[in-house]
Amino acid sequence: MATAPLVDEPPAPAAGPPPANPRKGILSYWRLYAAISPFYLLFLAFGLIPVGFSLYLSFHRWDGLGPMEYAGLSQYRYLLSDTDFWSSIGNTLVIWALATFPMIFLAMVTAVMLNSAVRFKNVYRFAYFLPNVTSVVAVAIIFGSVFSTNFGLVNALLQAVGLDQVAWLNTPWGIKVAIATLMTWQWTGYNAIIFLAGLQTIPGELYEAARMDGAGPVQTFFRITLPLMRPVLLFVLVISTVTGLQSFSEPQVLLQSTANESTFSGGPDHAGRTMVLYFFQQTFDNNDFGYGAAVAWGIFLVVVIFSIVNWRLVQRRGED
Amino acid sequence: MRLSRRGLLRAGLAGTAATALGGLASGCAVPTGSTGRNMVLWYWSGGLSDTVVEKAKARYDDAVDLDAIQIGGYYRSKLITTMTGQAHVPDIAGLKGEDMASYLPNADQFVDLRTLGAEKLRSRYLDWKWEQAVAPDGSLIGFPIDVGPVVQFYQPAVYEKAGLAHEPEDVSREMGTWDRFFAAGEQLKKRVPGAFILTDVTSVFEMSIGQGTERFVNRDKHFIGDREHVRVCWDRAVEAKRRGLASSIVTGTPDAISATESGRLPSQLNASWAAGDLKLQYPRTEGRWRVANCPGGPSNIGGSFLAITKACREPEKAFEIITWLLGAENQAQGFMDAGLFPSTPASYGMRKLREPDPFFGDQITMDVLGPAAEKIPVAFNSPYDVALGQPVRDEIKNVGVLGKDPDEAWKDAMSKCRRIADHLGVSR
Repeated sequence: MATAPLVDEPPAPAAGPPPANPRKGILSYWRLYAAISPFYLLFLAFGLIPVGFSLYLSFHRWDGLGPMEYAGLSQYRYLLSDTDFWSSIGNTLVIWALATFPMIFLAMVTAVMLNSAVRFKNVYRFAYFLPNVTSVVAVAIIFGSVFSTNFGLVNALLQAVGLDQVAWLNTPWGIKVAIATLMTWQWTGYNAIIFLAGLQTIPGELYEAARMDGAGPVQTFFRITLPLMRPVLLFVLVISTVTGLQSFSEPQVLLQSTANESTFSGGPDHAGRTMVLYFFQQTFDNNDFGYGAAVAWGIFLVVVIFSIVNWRLVQRRGED
Repeated sequence: MRLSRRGLLRAGLAGTAATALGGLASGCAVPTGSTGRNMVLWYWSGGLSDTVVEKAKARYDDAVDLDAIQIGGYYRSKLITTMTGQAHVPDIAGLKGEDMASYLPNADQFVDLRTLGAEKLRSRYLDWKWEQAVAPDGSLIGFPIDVGPVVQFYQPAVYEKAGLAHEPEDVSREMGTWDRFFAAGEQLKKRVPGAFILTDVTSVFEMSIGQGTERFVNRDKHFIGDREHVRVCWDRAVEAKRRGLASSIVTGTPDAISATESGRLPSQLNASWAAGDLKLQYPRTEGRWRVANCPGGPSNIGGSFLAITKACREPEKAFEIITWLLGAENQAQGFMDAGLFPSTPASYGMRKLREPDPFFGDQITMDVLGPAAEKIPVAFNSPYDVALGQPVRDEIKNVGVLGKDPDEAWKDAMSKCRRIADHLGVSR
């Protein structure tokens, strides 16, 4: 029954010579195209069409339910003059920088430590990976407690060393630091595992040779490990740029104070309002789907610029 | 039978194709709404009493299969996506009170309940609540579920220690106005060190706006957020800040929980449904709370509606189900099960809603909540209200939390509002 043909096909085995007509040639590969089609169909339905529609939407005014109204370029014109959007880009970049650089440093240190011979290596690897697979929402709620003013862990530590309390979630910089710390905590382990994989590709002979030449551990790290880790470092940088520019759940959950308030406002002075949070506020709080789409394309442009910068960095490294 | 690799591949491919084609075929025949027999009801967890929904299923079983689905996540965006997609649209849909203003301009997507005889039932429901579901063209798109009258939850022991009125009736009377409430706040601060009558000043602004009949945008799509009625609310919140009546605690953090439990935040201005949150969050404080009127008069937060969508094939039957679900008797049940405060004044007198509540020291809270619900003013809520109220809310928060200069904050709020108004086509 498995051999019952459902479609007509030539009785001869398919191993014949390729037909001369190129069009017929493409057609004769239809099975292969059919086999790879699911991805393209899904991408079309859930990727390309929504992307195209959002572009169309950004030239309209729409409340999500009623008729659409053509708006020309007015949404984009407003976007350019929208100080809130620009400040949200600034917030995103500051939070990204506050999160990424400590994270890369910590991840590298962790990876080097994991790479040296320690016992229970797998236990550590598992433990370091755990924060990354924990729900952001749960993590943000816990960090809300950690950073609370009177009973938070952070302030308890500050006071233990004789410093003053900081109202973390009530000051613009405190909010940014809290969000960045959350992101650092969540991504350090993940990137440490990636660094570890990179470290393990460095041949042991190089270290042996270095030791023979009398290099200490610090010199070995800066002269051998770091240069050979460059591609991995760049990969990590690219990945954290992509995730960092899209931060949304972290500020949203960390800063939602009461049920009576918008959850997308980003705290006092909008200190925690990232680009994506602003996009959500415009789209879903204000029901302004046209402008929301324009904001989304603005975010896209920012990401493109960053990607080009990243790409340039990779290119230059390649020429070395 | 010999299974060749080619045969297996072919069978697999055929199977995939058949599934895809089948999906496509049924895709073309996606029903926009019910098919007669089944009737789909969308609501959210806690949006209706589960007991009442179960009863309705059994009761109308002869006529329809009532398929009540709890939709999780961001409810409104799922509902409007489905309605815009015109496929699998529910016959009956819950509409949240805070989203109501955004549905009203699209009243043509819903059945006008007046055509089904809703006007005859109007007298049984709170008037201001009913008005919230009336679209600009006069059609009625939603039927009232619950309301959220705002009251003052307070800890009498702390008030007594501060030498303030502490019996519910006395508190309602002595702290009935904002001025007297603020004076009480000063006395509390003086007599009970570390205690504050307000958690933050944002609530003063928010409740004050709710107590008025005008908000940020009027019926003519004109921005009125720069007028006296908003300015009064703003000045009131600023005054609370100036007199140091608000704590610097962030709501929802462990700090707030600890301060509330220890009596350093003895008062909360919030809607009726916050009673459930209090009981859940502070079980150890049972008996230490009372309910009194909110200073400045009653206002409303939240509360929702049931609507019949245009996709519904049997609006008459749907309307029958809705009115049964939301009758006074079942609304009383909803209050007991899910804390949904009834929009039917007839429920307030029912014995089961007049039981003494041990959490509130055996107070009959309905004595405060019921009259408050009936006195809430009717206010027009524009679809542009959220967008144009947000800058003012953000700035009052900056004043309260960061100590920003109030005049500068007001100026910033107004210039932002003007910009947003121009963008949204709201005149000013």
